[in-house]
Amino acid sequence: MKSVSELTDFYYKELYPSLNELETNRKQIVSHLKWYGSMGVVIFIIVALWMVKNFGLFHPLMIGVAIGFIAIASIAYRSMTSGYAKDFKAKIITPMIGAIDPHLLYNPDFMISQHLFERSDLFKHSIDRYSGNDYVKGSIEGVPLEFSDVHAEYQTRDSKGRTQWHTLFRGLFLVAEFNKHFKAKTIILPDQAEKSFGSLIGGWLQSINFTREGIIRLDDPEFEKHFVVYGSDPIEARYILTHSMMKRILDFQRRVSHPLFVSFVHNHIHVGIGTGKDLFEPAVFTSLLDYKQAMEYVNTLQNTIGLVEELKLNEKLWSKS
Amino acid sequence: MQIFLILLGVLALITILMYNSLIGKKNQVDNIFAGVDAVLKKRFDLIPNLVASVSQYMEHEKSTLEKVTEYRAQAMKPGISDEAKIALDAKLTTALGAINIAMEAYPDLKANENVMHLQRSLNEIEEQISAARRAYNQAVTDLNNAIEMFPTNLIAGWMNLQRRAVFEIHVTERQNVDVGALFNK
Repeated sequence: MKSVSELTDFYYKELYPSLNELETNRKQIVSHLKWYGSMGVVIFIIVALWMVKNFGLFHPLMIGVAIGFIAIASIAYRSMTSGYAKDFKAKIITPMIGAIDPHLLYNPDFMISQHLFERSDLFKHSIDRYSGNDYVKGSIEGVPLEFSDVHAEYQTRDSKGRTQWHTLFRGLFLVAEFNKHFKAKTIILPDQAEKSFGSLIGGWLQSINFTREGIIRLDDPEFEKHFVVYGSDPIEARYILTHSMMKRILDFQRRVSHPLFVSFVHNHIHVGIGTGKDLFEPAVFTSLLDYKQAMEYVNTLQNTIGLVEELKLNEKLWSKS
Repeated sequence: MQIFLILLGVLALITILMYNSLIGKKNQVDNIFAGVDAVLKKRFDLIPNLVASVSQYMEHEKSTLEKVTEYRAQAMKPGISDEAKIALDAKLTTALGAINIAMEAYPDLKANENVMHLQRSLNEIEEQISAARRAYNQAVTDLNNAIEMFPTNLIAGWMNLQRRAVFEIHVTERQNVDVGALFNK
């Protein structure tokens, strides 16, 4: 397992030829985008002026034309950048994952199975659309793990019958083998109620959550402030969440600064980091050689794969061999 | 008259809810104590094995080993109260801790596969016991709070519910905290 600085070195030294090549590519795409973009704007203004003259400013057709232009622009943007994104994943992300551990497999188009996502029991809502990418599978220090970007959505209909899509979870989802045997489910969720309503009313609201099994109050006040824990077996929940485990999860939460969802089901730990965006996607308008940008790729990989060491999942108890 | 009846109904409902929540809390304590009991029994089952395998090596710790056996025998007696069991568990934990430390001085013991296996299983059970103790303490605290806080204390008094004892860490255990191990964990 390489450290962040080693990985940053790797990024700038080993990947430099590929970075340079991609960077020229990126600049070309940006100049194309600018050229087509300004052409599009000019055409749009001409069409709009013509329409204002013939139909008036607030004609319904105007909205249609505007939406049409936006749709064409986004399709054009995607088709122009998709090749670049593919190259970026093949030439930068793949070797970086290989550098972290050569036994890790990476597939940019695959994702963690919906079955595993649902098994985690972190999200009670039914899922109507499930997608993802950047799938990594392998084992770190003897601990089998897999993770990927996940986007889970559900659908609602409003009074006029229009369908609306809502994001249930978007971010990184990881599943790894846990180092202790357990039978019950233990679910750790971000503590929204206690943060917004205070411990008295918030705590009461949590305890009457009918969709969840019993609430488990733990003896770490700091942990309790950030998370709410539900589980079917209070003893097993504490067997998993020892004082040191709670501290490690808290430390991890502080570093990622996104909502953290953790569940222990079926002898596995499931971790969802709600980043709200697609990770490992190249930024078209920022230079690949930009330090901040590079650090984001390096840190995301390091944080995710480093979770095994951070939570000490590799410290096996004798009975789990 | 109607208002009076409604008030009476509401009052009865509140009383029933409080009564049920107290019963729920009391049963939760009993339920978790059964869990504690199960892991304690696991440990009791391992003790004779441990004592048998280490006694031939550990000449100087004969008295500690005898104590461990004695505590186990006491705790296994039928009809022992929960409080007595809690107290015995604390003593047993201290004695086992002492054996653990003393074992460091016997290289022969540390080379013995069988003893090391026992040691590791005891450590794992120790972790389960610690989890069970924490769960029990939380359940007892919930119950004790309900017994003492207004207005549930009124009904608890009428139901004749008694405060329960929590598992306390023994004084020697508190002193013997190994700071290095704590940070490395």
